[in-house]
Amino acid sequence: MPSSSFLTDISLNHYLILSSVLFVIGMAGVLLRRNVIVILMSLELMLNAVNISFIAFSKFTQNVDGQIMVFFVMTIAAAEAAVGLALAVAIFKRFKEVNIKFFEHLRG
Amino acid sequence: MDHSVLMAILLLSPFIGFLINGVRYKQPTYKLSGGIATAAVFISFICSVLLFSDLVGLPADQRKIHVKFFEWLSVDKFKVDAAFYVDQISGIMILIITGVGSLIHLFSTEYMHHDKGVTKYFSYLNLFVFNMLILVLGDSLLTMFVGWEGVGLCSYLLIGFWFTDKEKAAAGMKAFITNRVGDAAFLLGMFILFSTFGTLNIQEINSLAPTAVETSWLGALTLGTMFLFVGATGKSAQIPLYVWLPDAMAGPTPVSALIHAATMVTAGIYMIVRLNPIFIVAPNTMMVIAIIGALTALMAASIGITQWDIKKVLAYSTVSQLGYMFLAVGVGAFGAGLFHVMTHAFFKALMFLGSGSVIHAMHEEQDIRKMGGLKKYMPITHWTFFLGWLAIIGIPPFAGFFSKDEILWMSFHSPMGSPVLWAVGALSAGMTAFYMTRLMCLTFWGKSRVPKSVHPHESPAMMTIPLVVLAFLSVVGGWIGIPEVIGHTFGHIPNYLGDWLAPVIRPIPNLAPADHSLEWGLMGASFGIASISAFVAYHFYVKSPEIPGKIAASIKPVYELVFKKYLVDELYFKTIINPLVEISRKIWFYIDVNFIDKLTYIIADLIKGGGGVTRSLQTGNVQVYAMYIAIGLVVALSIIIIK
Amino acid sequence: MTPDVFLFWFLALLIVGSGLAVLLFTNPVYSALSLAMTMVGVAAIFITLNAYFIAGVQLIVYAGAVMVLFVMVIMLFDIKSEVQAFTSGKISGAMKLIAVGLLSGLIVGGIIMGQKSFVGELSKDAAAQVAEANSAKMKRAAGADAATKELGVALFTKHIFGFEALGVLLTAIAVGTVALARSRGGTHAK
Repeated sequence: MPSSSFLTDISLNHYLILSSVLFVIGMAGVLLRRNVIVILMSLELMLNAVNISFIAFSKFTQNVDGQIMVFFVMTIAAAEAAVGLALAVAIFKRFKEVNIKFFEHLRG
Repeated sequence: MDHSVLMAILLLSPFIGFLINGVRYKQPTYKLSGGIATAAVFISFICSVLLFSDLVGLPADQRKIHVKFFEWLSVDKFKVDAAFYVDQISGIMILIITGVGSLIHLFSTEYMHHDKGVTKYFSYLNLFVFNMLILVLGDSLLTMFVGWEGVGLCSYLLIGFWFTDKEKAAAGMKAFITNRVGDAAFLLGMFILFSTFGTLNIQEINSLAPTAVETSWLGALTLGTMFLFVGATGKSAQIPLYVWLPDAMAGPTPVSALIHAATMVTAGIYMIVRLNPIFIVAPNTMMVIAIIGALTALMAASIGITQWDIKKVLAYSTVSQLGYMFLAVGVGAFGAGLFHVMTHAFFKALMFLGSGSVIHAMHEEQDIRKMGGLKKYMPITHWTFFLGWLAIIGIPPFAGFFSKDEILWMSFHSPMGSPVLWAVGALSAGMTAFYMTRLMCLTFWGKSRVPKSVHPHESPAMMTIPLVVLAFLSVVGGWIGIPEVIGHTFGHIPNYLGDWLAPVIRPIPNLAPADHSLEWGLMGASFGIASISAFVAYHFYVKSPEIPGKIAASIKPVYELVFKKYLVDELYFKTIINPLVEISRKIWFYIDVNFIDKLTYIIADLIKGGGGVTRSLQTGNVQVYAMYIAIGLVVALSIIIIK
Repeated sequence: MTPDVFLFWFLALLIVGSGLAVLLFTNPVYSALSLAMTMVGVAAIFITLNAYFIAGVQLIVYAGAVMVLFVMVIMLFDIKSEVQAFTSGKISGAMKLIAVGLLSGLIVGGIIMGQKSFVGELSKDAAAQVAEANSAKMKRAAGADAATKELGVALFTKHIFGFEALGVLLTAIAVGTVALARSRGGTHAK
């Protein structure tokens, strides 16, 4: 049971739990949505969740490396979004379809 | 030159010839291919002569040139070097192989010039010479075995050289499979010798051979040498494994001359001579060798009388002469055996090449019933063949006389011999004289039975030169081994060969001093038998050609039996080959098809079913894959937390 | 309740709520807007954690560039509210939900339980470090400028190789994306 100290003392755990909840929401999006674009959005959510825990650790251990890692993750996330959306656009141009289910046809 | 360089050139020259011709095996350039091959073997011959002269220059008890190239195998205590050595025995052999070999290569160049596969033919021939040299020079039994298998392979390739003819291909397979039986025995012999002596090095085995005589039938030496002898019966065409050699005549005639007369088939005798210190102490093996040799000599000679194919006659003659050689080594006269190997190489190569010349002239006709009177058309072939004939039937002073007579004398005189062996030997000598005279008469003498469409002609110089050289050797080749009894009478002519071989040949134990008058008597007797049967044959086949037919008709069952080669092939088929085939068929059907195949099908079906199940997991739906990841995460986390 | 605590709970609710909105809105445009909201919330969380520079980058890259990209694509596709936003398949859907639920339970449970072990020790260590650092480091490097400077020094010294590798990656991505955009349907091209 959350005691009053749980509500008032904001520790590392609070950030970690926030991060994990956001991660799971993103994951549910990836698993359950049909629209490719929404799936990509959910992926961004998951990456953000990880970033939160990185920054939290960085702050609570006074280590700047965590922030560097976040910096890297962001760059890669941007790249991933660019490629993912480009793929979605290419497929949409060809088949007029954004349903992930439709992508099954891409298997050999 | 350094000995190792000489040895390397000696061995590698034919191998390089093989590689050159092997790479360009489709070229129909017979002159170039033949030139390369002949040159390769001739270079080896020069190296052999140089090595041999170096060997002569050494003191008698140190005559040995040993060259180690590298360590080939090393497993615990089992060590085999890629090492070769020339001593008195192998020195003679390399001279025969490369000398006669280069003559036969020269002959082949002309003989094979019609053939499209001439380059392939020469590459095989060079490979054969290479393997034969390894066999002869190898310093351990394993090295020898490499060559032993190599010559078997080349023999197979060359017998089946015209493999589009099904019968010829089958002859090649027959030779290969029969040899395989012998080779298995050879391997067993090697195993036994290794477990006894702990080494396969020939010199070490020879020096470790005990001086005591082993009389038990199941002793290691008796068993080991017996297995080696069975191996030799395969390669050297003795009872019971001789059946392949007559069929091997399916190959080109020069091949028959080189492989199936002069060199490869003598490998068995050579092996026994080289290992003579262990054979001499196993008298039981020696007895078996002598008996098998004598029986083979007699049996093959009797078959030879009835054959109509010129090459078949020569083939049975070869088997018979090989029997002689085994008779010689079986009674302990290793020197005499090797002597006969040498003289036989000369005159039998000569006769095979001569028959090749005849076949060439007759446009591939081999039946002597369709020949006769060829003397007129082919003078050189006839005269050289004539000298070979004199040599083989044992007319002094031609080569065959000395070696054959020494064998016969030793089979009588040696404590391991007996008058019965002598009688069998003398009888086969008579038969040899008979069928060889018959061959001469039917081929070269008498009235011509040549069909009108065929115009025989003398062969070109490239074929007659080897004939002349070999004829010369057939005449003088025996003079290096003039027996002591004759040499003594004609003013102390030394027995060069006997003296030469003395340091490496163990003397026969308990050899009584020779009784010269008895020796003269036996010599006269065998000479008499030979000349009488030669005369009878001449009478039968030239003067009154109707008599042989009448005799054959009067003893028809016996004649038929002999003509059909004692039905040995049929016997083998009935007792060994067909049951084996039947059993294999049964095994194939019940074990292979019904058990092993079914088992694999069941396993395949199971895997296929399993694959079908797991395939349904691979839907191609990315989200389902992501779900698997999530489930995996759940499981992994649960494990971490529960721990 | 101090302002810090209030801020944390406020932002946590904002992030979780808008995250759920991304998941639950059937119209992708609303989802995208909720995502932008989440990004801003996360940037604010970064600020409460003294990561000012990262918070700025978060706003510019995510809430700015990436979101614009998404909205552009949605506009390009001209997508209306979807009739069926979620995947069909009752069994797989149930399994997915169960997996997600279990995962969240496990992670949260693991964090809380781990307080006594790993994370707890870490917290204590961190607390000690903070106490130590507070006295010396924080006085020396107080304020946003100093923290950003520290980050920049680390990025261009200790992590320079990763930084360069990222540069190569971005170049490759730029080229690849252009190639993709120009292609006419890949293997199905006519």
